[in-house]
Amino acid sequence: MKKLVPTALAFFLIAALAAPATLAAAAQLPAPEKIVLKNGIIVYHLKNSALPIVSFRMVIRGAGSAFEPAEAEGAANLAATLMMKGTAKMDADAVAEAVDFMGASLNISAAEEYLQVSGDSLSEHFPRLMEIAADCLTRPSFKEEEFAKERAKRIDVLKAAKDNPGTAVRYYFQKAYFGGHPLGHLATGMESSLTKMTVQAVKDFYARRLRPNRSIAAVVGDIDKAKLVALLESTVGRWPNPAGAATADAVPALPKPKGRTLLLIDKPDANQAYFMLGAPGYAMGDKITAAASVMNTLFGGRFTSWLNTELRIKRGLTYGANSGVRNWAAGGLFSVSSYTKNDKIGEMLDITLDLLKKGAGQGFAPEEIESSRNYILGQFPPTLETNASKAGAYIRLAFYKLGFGYYDKYLDEVGKTSAENAKAAAARLLPQDDFVLVVVGKAEEIKPLLMKYGTWREKKITDPDF
Amino acid sequence: MRRKFVLTLLLTAALAVSLSAAFKKGDVRVHTLANGLKILLVEDHNIPNVALYTYFRVGSRNERPGLTGVSHFIEHMMFNGTPKIGPGEFDRRMEFQGGRNNAFTSDDMTGYTDWFPAAALEAMIAMEADRIQGLAFVPEVFESERGVIASERRMAVENNNDAILGENVRATAIMAHPYHWNVIGWMSDIQSWRRDEVMAYYRTYYAPNNAVLIVVGDFDPAPTLNLIRKYYGPIPAYPPPPPVSTVEPPQMGIKSVLVRKAAQAPSFQVVWHAPSAKDPDYLPLSILAKPLLEGESSRLYRRLVREEQLAIRIRGGVQETIDPLLFMIDVKPRPGADLDRIDRVIEEELAKIKAEGITPKEFEKALNIVRSDFYMELQTIAGKAGQLGGAELLYDDFGKLFTVMDDYAAVKIERIKEVALKYFQENNKTIGKLIPEGGAK
Repeated sequence: MKKLVPTALAFFLIAALAAPATLAAAAQLPAPEKIVLKNGIIVYHLKNSALPIVSFRMVIRGAGSAFEPAEAEGAANLAATLMMKGTAKMDADAVAEAVDFMGASLNISAAEEYLQVSGDSLSEHFPRLMEIAADCLTRPSFKEEEFAKERAKRIDVLKAAKDNPGTAVRYYFQKAYFGGHPLGHLATGMESSLTKMTVQAVKDFYARRLRPNRSIAAVVGDIDKAKLVALLESTVGRWPNPAGAATADAVPALPKPKGRTLLLIDKPDANQAYFMLGAPGYAMGDKITAAASVMNTLFGGRFTSWLNTELRIKRGLTYGANSGVRNWAAGGLFSVSSYTKNDKIGEMLDITLDLLKKGAGQGFAPEEIESSRNYILGQFPPTLETNASKAGAYIRLAFYKLGFGYYDKYLDEVGKTSAENAKAAAARLLPQDDFVLVVVGKAEEIKPLLMKYGTWREKKITDPDF
Repeated sequence: MRRKFVLTLLLTAALAVSLSAAFKKGDVRVHTLANGLKILLVEDHNIPNVALYTYFRVGSRNERPGLTGVSHFIEHMMFNGTPKIGPGEFDRRMEFQGGRNNAFTSDDMTGYTDWFPAAALEAMIAMEADRIQGLAFVPEVFESERGVIASERRMAVENNNDAILGENVRATAIMAHPYHWNVIGWMSDIQSWRRDEVMAYYRTYYAPNNAVLIVVGDFDPAPTLNLIRKYYGPIPAYPPPPPVSTVEPPQMGIKSVLVRKAAQAPSFQVVWHAPSAKDPDYLPLSILAKPLLEGESSRLYRRLVREEQLAIRIRGGVQETIDPLLFMIDVKPRPGADLDRIDRVIEEELAKIKAEGITPKEFEKALNIVRSDFYMELQTIAGKAGQLGGAELLYDDFGKLFTVMDDYAAVKIERIKEVALKYFQENNKTIGKLIPEGGAK
């Protein structure tokens, strides 16, 4: 394959390029119908009968991993998974069997700021899918036995993740960058937090954090409004709001690295070294968004970007080099990552740091700006092509209060972004001296190449946690 | 090549489909130029973009020792310059016009996938037609790209224990046929491909009569066809590439392979020789794979992950290929799990299917999975282009896309038991284990 489409973090990179995304977004994303269920759930609906399928998406604000008590890291995602592992009506096998039988998908998982539910099915099966989703969402049984199984599995999944340095570097980076900040919670939890976790902690998280009046949903596909309203009222609409005031749902200000924080993870069997470097980004909806997209596209957001040109195309050091942004309500992260064989990691980091300097100092040529604008505009329509991506966009726009005209405005701004705007975005976002840098590789070979960047904190890949 | 597995699954899903009101065989306009280039055109105005896919009938099955991985290397070199367009210019021009691309190589085919705004259509057709008429293979660029592939191999195989084991299992199970090696190729071959040999390989397979062009999206078919004629029409046909004549001999006893490596968790894989995609046994095996392996309700997920807690995850199925390849079950064991016990559980579950087949409900579930996946795929112009290309390459008939749901539904449920008895035999089996050494606590 020419380019690997990366997972996890990369999802956000794509989402960020995409979210910010053609000329008339309105053609792909018409204003939806708004429905408010009796219990307060806000639902956006768009009928699309092109194919006999329906997509459902829902987020519950304040129920993500950033709202876990520090000692219960992993509780949000554990709660999400366990919601599908048994309800008042069905046990775990019955839920899996019912969903799989329809060829449908149903997933519940925790992001940082919210818990998310996604379901896709043939339209004929959608009513049944919503019954099951509502049952999982509103009446989970949180059985001790299922908790114990899931916890044990997660601990082993985390161990296995350390066998893949490309995955491991992201976990180590998240910990090193955010430290004790709630965005540093790994959704999967850590071995130490999972070992201490109790089913009660999971139940408590569910009871305190999940409520219908903090939920936003979207349904896009082959279903009429009247039928949908009746279906939703009789399923998720029956979820009562818990008594008592809602708990806080704001994430504190994000950390700002001062100086270089360097972390080396020794993986003695690695024949390639993986790095990730990060610094503050910008919040969702920030005025810099369009200029930042134009800038990031040129710096590391596409195949001919500066990073990929210097590290892959010109020198053949790596299969892939990227930069990307992640955005939350309270702030964001800009990051760069790549990998190369052990003896080239110094050359790779030198080039990366030089490019960061050049981007912030010189900015970009007018023809590069034009190319980047064209690229973002041209690649926007496919980001809103499916039912699921439309539903996701409605939710994103509603969750961050950006308004359904946002993408048209965004695309308009992209189209007007000048070289000066992009240079200003580069000066703000491309870190020079203040960043967090994590490298995973064979210390014996790469350490001598890394000393010139400063003092490294070192860990072994076999040390507990990340 | 991770992509291969994904591709296979997609095609399996895709091909099992009933006619969708929204997409019918009649929507596909078919043309063949005098030089043999086959063209499939589908108008779709849902978004103002076009998916232009070019699939060549060349993959790692066409390679030989010394040149393993070369199909994939050429896939990369297709972006690195022609006599008319300099190295990197393809991507620069395409991105300038708002387009993006990727490409993939599998055992059987090489695909170039372009997504771009409708206005870029002529420019893209011109550049695609240009790069099948000769590549520059600039020596410095050749060497630099060799490094990229080496990095890709280190990333996708050498630093991925499951992939290391997968490569060992494949090479153990397949003795003679070129499916013996992975698409990425052996590192020593990657490091020693010669320019003249690579050029000869390219010249053999990159010809209009060895390709299919699939265009789906926001365009007007008549002028588009004229553009294709204008740029592709003058390209001569080449002698047809030699057939792949090696046939894998029957396996004559169980095989096993052991890998010892620093790791936190073991890896486990078991495979049996399986029929080609066109074989009448393919569909029954594909149906069998769903209740056995797909989803948390599947028989093996329940036993291995939930009940006995021996594994973190499982995946697998029958590989959809031109020549016979493998039915694979890939298990990620829990650290410390008894790998022999995993093997026994798998055999126990297969024994049940050999004795009793699958239930009518499981059969219905398999058809639901196939139908649902198919419609999901049809939502995008990229999805339609990929499905058409895959069907044309594997079955020599894109129309397969529109009948296979009926084909699936027509499989007699008794056939599941028959194929289980036929293929899941000890003499047909290879077991692979990766056992952690050192690195684990």
